[in-house]
Amino acid sequence: MSKADQLSASFRDPSGFLFTDKGILYRQINRAYSKDYTRLMDSGLYDRLVKASLLIPHVEADHAPAESDAAFKVIQPERVSFISYPYEWSFSQLKDAALATLSIQKRAMKLDMSLKDASAYNIQFVRGKAALIDTLSFEIYKEGEPWVAYKQFCQHFLAPLALMAYRDVRLSQLLRVYIDGVPLDLASELLPAKTKFNFGLLTHLHIHAGAQKRYSDKVVAPRKGGMSKLALTGLIESLEGTIKKLTWKPAGTEWGDYYENTNYTDSAFEHKKQLVHDWSVEKKPALVWDLGGNTGIFSREAASSGAFTVSFDIDPAAVEQNYRTVKTKKEQNILPLVLDLTNPSPALGWDNSERDSFGARGPADMVLALAVIHHLAISNNVPLPQLADFFAAHCKWLVIEFVPKSDSQVQKLLTSREDIFPTYTREGFEAAFSGRFYIHKNEVVRDSERVLYLMERK
Amino acid sequence: MHYTPLLPYLDPGSGSFIIQIAIAVLLGLGVAIRASWGSIKKYFGAKPKPEEEDDDSDNVQS
Repeated sequence: MSKADQLSASFRDPSGFLFTDKGILYRQINRAYSKDYTRLMDSGLYDRLVKASLLIPHVEADHAPAESDAAFKVIQPERVSFISYPYEWSFSQLKDAALATLSIQKRAMKLDMSLKDASAYNIQFVRGKAALIDTLSFEIYKEGEPWVAYKQFCQHFLAPLALMAYRDVRLSQLLRVYIDGVPLDLASELLPAKTKFNFGLLTHLHIHAGAQKRYSDKVVAPRKGGMSKLALTGLIESLEGTIKKLTWKPAGTEWGDYYENTNYTDSAFEHKKQLVHDWSVEKKPALVWDLGGNTGIFSREAASSGAFTVSFDIDPAAVEQNYRTVKTKKEQNILPLVLDLTNPSPALGWDNSERDSFGARGPADMVLALAVIHHLAISNNVPLPQLADFFAAHCKWLVIEFVPKSDSQVQKLLTSREDIFPTYTREGFEAAFSGRFYIHKNEVVRDSERVLYLMERK
Repeated sequence: MHYTPLLPYLDPGSGSFIIQIAIAVLLGLGVAIRASWGSIKKYFGAKPKPEEEDDDSDNVQS
């Protein structure tokens, strides 16, 4: 086993680390963590959390450790279908991840354990629900000690949620800049003054930020017994109450009316749904990426074939609505995420290798690119051959809709600018994509000028 | 070698510790009041709320 097989996102915690061998993901638990791991398993906490879908299950593996000197055990955790990051989540996704973290902490405290970290990156969406993926996040509770993960929780969850709720939902993107969460002094400065009248935000955010500044260069030895278990319970419940009260509803957006702004007839819409459904059933992809998925109507057609479908959209309101549908319908194989295709998530963190870029988390078996090509080719000026290269890098099967210049949606994009796209025609599109794909099928969408293609990467 | 680390692996932040201890009494008091409020209501015949742990089939994501 070489060091290179260790996953670079898990280097920080000395309790253990992730590594892969022959495509299987393992987690080595170090001897330093043996007591805490044994308590997690023997106390019944592990079983309770797994039963409540709050922790991913694992099995103890018979695999040789990657670093045998420090090793206690090797476990094989369940693999998550698609790793996503908090800057790709909608408001309710981040809120649910926060509430899941606090729920885990409450359950842990009842069995004399506590979370030693509260990183949003330790939460993933598994079968539609926010769940902890780091089995080594627990430690034996030490009576009298404050919560070591308090600062991290406030930076990773409370600050961005408050900013999204009280200032602007797009401020979730601060998480892309600040890998360890939004600095509390920055959040405190950006939040409107009225948040100082909210007890939770006043204490956990504004006063907390002030305390951080005041004691930043002082060494403080916390008094033993300074924080009773009752007070710690109060802290967690206070955070929970504060988070639950944070809400966001997109202003000026008519919920559920996303598709009313299209120039589609019902019959065109149904025809498109049918084609996506039929081609997904035919090609049986395991992983589908719906790029420009809006509220996920076509993602659901792909998902109905059994594929795990990630539904990306640039609009946080559409993603929010999509996620609410996932929850209401208890859907397990759809993951809505916020993504700007013209500037997709980059690789981030130490050595640019802690968080994977959008592309590194692929390729998908199938990509859906419906009603999106004109945004990329015309609004963003990407030449068609480059678009073909992009899609070829990210999938084997491509279901792509060509929207011609005569279409009113494209006309809208061209009203205020010069038409510098002479090759943006059906013929030009087919010629560009033939360089990278075999075009297996093309169907004119009923009652429209649009064409749906099924292509296979060369 | 078998040892238990004495310090957290992440810096919990001095200010973040101080503020927790500063509001500890208030937070503890809140929990105590909520707990006794439950028993007062119970005394007068109100049904106690089911504990979160009793509902292991689901989590609290709202």
